[in-house]
Amino acid sequence: MLLRTIVWFLGAGLMAGAVFAAEPQTLPGENPNPIHLIRRPVEPLSAMARLGRDIFFDTSLSSSGKMACASCHSPDHAYGPPNDGPVVFGGPALADPGARAVPSLTYLERQPDFSIGPDDRENETVTLAQMAEVGQTADRVQKTATQAAQSAANIVPQGGLFWDGRADTLQMQASGPLLDPREMDGGSIEIIAEKLRHAPYARKFATLFGENIFKNANLLVAEATFAVGRYQVEEPSFHSYTSKFDYWLEGKARLGDSEMRGYRLFNDQEKANCAGCHSAQPTRDGLPPLFTDTQYEALAAPRNLTLADTKDPNYFDLGVCGPIRKDVADQTQFCGMFKTPTLRNTAVRRAFFHNGVFQTLQQVMDFYNFRDTNPEKVYPLGVDGKAQKYNDIPVKYHANVDVSDPPFNRHPGETPAMTAQDEADIIAFLKTLNDGYKPEE
Amino acid sequence: MRNQKLKTTLLSTVALLVVAVAATLIGPVIAGQDNDEIAEKEAAVHPNKLKTKYPIKHLVVIFNENRSFDHYFGTYPNALNPEGEPLFEPAKNTPRDINNLLSSPALLDSNPNLNAANGAGATNPFRLDRTQANTADQGHAYTPEQKAYDGGKNDLFPLDTGKGTSGGAGAFGTTGQVMGYFDGNTVTAFWNYAQNFAMSDNAWTDDFGPSTPGALNMFAGTTNGAVVPAGLTANTIPDGQGGLTLINDTDPTGDTCSSQTAQVSMTSKNIGDLLNAADIPWGSFMGGFNLQTINNNSTTGCARSSVGQAVGATADYIPHHAWFQYFTSTANLTHARPTSTKAIGYTSVPGTKNVDPANHAYDLEDFTTAVGAGNFPAVSFIKLPAFQDAHPGYSDPLDEQTGVVTLINFLQQQRDWDSTAVIIAYDDSDGWADHAFSPTTHPSFSTTADALNGAGICGVVGTTEPAGVNGMPVHGRCGPGTRTPFVVISPYAKKNYVSHVLITQASIPQFIEDNWLKGERLGGGSFDATTGSIVDMFNFKRADSAELFLDPTFGTVETRKQAKKND
Repeated sequence: MLLRTIVWFLGAGLMAGAVFAAEPQTLPGENPNPIHLIRRPVEPLSAMARLGRDIFFDTSLSSSGKMACASCHSPDHAYGPPNDGPVVFGGPALADPGARAVPSLTYLERQPDFSIGPDDRENETVTLAQMAEVGQTADRVQKTATQAAQSAANIVPQGGLFWDGRADTLQMQASGPLLDPREMDGGSIEIIAEKLRHAPYARKFATLFGENIFKNANLLVAEATFAVGRYQVEEPSFHSYTSKFDYWLEGKARLGDSEMRGYRLFNDQEKANCAGCHSAQPTRDGLPPLFTDTQYEALAAPRNLTLADTKDPNYFDLGVCGPIRKDVADQTQFCGMFKTPTLRNTAVRRAFFHNGVFQTLQQVMDFYNFRDTNPEKVYPLGVDGKAQKYNDIPVKYHANVDVSDPPFNRHPGETPAMTAQDEADIIAFLKTLNDGYKPEE
Repeated sequence: MRNQKLKTTLLSTVALLVVAVAATLIGPVIAGQDNDEIAEKEAAVHPNKLKTKYPIKHLVVIFNENRSFDHYFGTYPNALNPEGEPLFEPAKNTPRDINNLLSSPALLDSNPNLNAANGAGATNPFRLDRTQANTADQGHAYTPEQKAYDGGKNDLFPLDTGKGTSGGAGAFGTTGQVMGYFDGNTVTAFWNYAQNFAMSDNAWTDDFGPSTPGALNMFAGTTNGAVVPAGLTANTIPDGQGGLTLINDTDPTGDTCSSQTAQVSMTSKNIGDLLNAADIPWGSFMGGFNLQTINNNSTTGCARSSVGQAVGATADYIPHHAWFQYFTSTANLTHARPTSTKAIGYTSVPGTKNVDPANHAYDLEDFTTAVGAGNFPAVSFIKLPAFQDAHPGYSDPLDEQTGVVTLINFLQQQRDWDSTAVIIAYDDSDGWADHAFSPTTHPSFSTTADALNGAGICGVVGTTEPAGVNGMPVHGRCGPGTRTPFVVISPYAKKNYVSHVLITQASIPQFIEDNWLKGERLGGGSFDATTGSIVDMFNFKRADSAELFLDPTFGTVETRKQAKKND
């Protein structure tokens, strides 16, 4: 038994190290149990990543000649949209509105493949259809801040890139906007390949892949989009983990009164319960929290009538089950589901939810707070004077909407989960998730 | 020798009891003093004192996952050397008669896989960069691999095996990716080992197909004689003689960590049985096997996991890779721990008559502990923790390199290195493209599974299928299958040598039998009797090769020690 005891002690010691390290008295707003966060070591960019950087900022690959990856994923806006509207305009004359709000490109370097149920990479033979089949009969654990580990095993969609998870790798993601006629509108693989062959950085392809690379358009563009993804993996500003909250976790920053109250409300399953999905705990491997469990939810954000597509009353953007994503369209239990985004740097955004229907965090907080207790504050009123609940999802899919995870388990007339002060405090806390905080020496 | 006889008898009668004994043992128990005193004279068999045919007293087999020969050595010894990557410059005397892409340049410029049947995936082979170490996983089941080899034309890889999982946000994947190869800027350590020791360009899996068949052929030389528990499923096919052959992956029956719905066990003999009968110390050492260990990330049991450089956390132990778990005689289904470090490698706890519950199956950490304490088994089979086993999708060549180099650096520092040989071999090719084809020497004609030379045909019609465990020709063992890397690292390895002798996974048990067992064979249709020998990679007359310490992260040469002159 001796050996086992030693092993146990070592394991427990590593987990409890933070407790032993704590000072006996702490200052107000200080983390009483500081931890060490593991960040990717900063190294010079590889040749591949430097090539990717050139492509990321290259406007010549768009039909307008004016749009690059960086146009919508602006480095000055946490790699999110720089404009005020719900979507960005692209296409040949930069006059075509995009279909969805531009997601941030930060904190995607750890994103797992899209799967239904937990990612199981050692199992070599499971298809999406098989996974979905399991999900139709599996129980689902209610998502609260205190049982994130249990709900992570729910057989629901998780992982992947884009709002609907249709790409698994940053490489696949990069080719989406490049070819989308409403975005960069690159035309075709052959057109893009021809531009790459004559780009100022063309020789960099040869040094990495040999001269043969220019003969194969598909491969040339695949290498280009991989290089863009590699730039995102290596360039520290895509995942710097330098928020005030990160430093607070490490005992290098103190939260103000409002921020601290907001942090508690964020984690309080009787109140906001944000952490039920926007996981705030470091991983077991010591990696900083991502503020998303990467799962998909149907929250039923109100329809955004300012979008071009919604002029058609029969158009519904249903996320995982289409219309942009095609491969799981028959899994109608996922209709209306969109990916839970990270909340890191969310406070610098001006377009929230997949359709950009909200412009401020205040509106977002009101949505969570009043959707079920006072829907008239969230949705437009119909001719009957009643709130048009879930008005961006067809009635036949309303059962998919989350009414079990707090605060969405309330009913009309019940007290909202949060007061105005609570909402303000949570917003104060969200601002501590912006990168670029300078800790006190 | 009285005791040896006794132990042998004991083993055959207790083998069935081991499971029950193991189940009751929860933690390590220190051997009782009484037994130690009683049997002080029954000193453990010491590997260095065993009579061997060759001057090899310790064989270490590092059995990795899912890489083809061209995928790792396609342009060997020429690397592209982009700025900022680990540099590789070949030695002047590097052999150039290697059967790879470089020696037939047409393969690089007008490859048969440009075949229009491959559709958008039709492509020439292309370099995978070091930043692309994390790739998608390719298809590597028994039938699709046969279709890709297309009767020896090797021209349908993108169509038949060029698909798989994505591998996470940072992974590289493209149509035609199956044609990708790494060079000395990524698999730097392997190229450096090849420069200083010996490798084969003619090493094959015994059969087409994935991990479990490969592991079984390395350990038993056969995949016939499969038994599926009632009510469960397995990737077996009828062998045409009333039995079953395993052709794809399935977890071992009864392993604590196995799938609850699909399991299989095997009834053939394996090399462990022969070693046990001769009382030769041996062990299987797998990352993640000790279910009591708690990793730094607080995971434990079957869910113990680690994080690699290129991919996220992945489970350390994968049951369908555990060759020994498929056989009643060598299984340790509960993952019982050895009684003590000195018991590692032994059937009975040395100095006692007590059967050790681990039954020759241990964690990888037990290997370094035992060897470091001077208890270096004669034969050690190693499986690195999954994140380092090289399998695309959850592992990658860079994590593999770290695991392999760390282990080989460690072994070269041991007193017994003088009499050690390390083999790095692979369970399958993952379906990665390879241009070479070996004429089918053991055909299979299963109407449901075989496809190399047309539906239901693998091999030349009219030739006889290989014998199964009962001596009759059986389906499902078609091969040689796919070509994989095979490297020998030893003071006795020929230096910077590439062997062209055709060998397979079953050449590993064959070498063990030749060295320790006077050439005894497994029988029951095992390929150990018919495959080629690996001895061409050795010069047993002199310990010629110097020690070579590599950087575990970059695979570059750290120090090279002068070869000992002992001729």
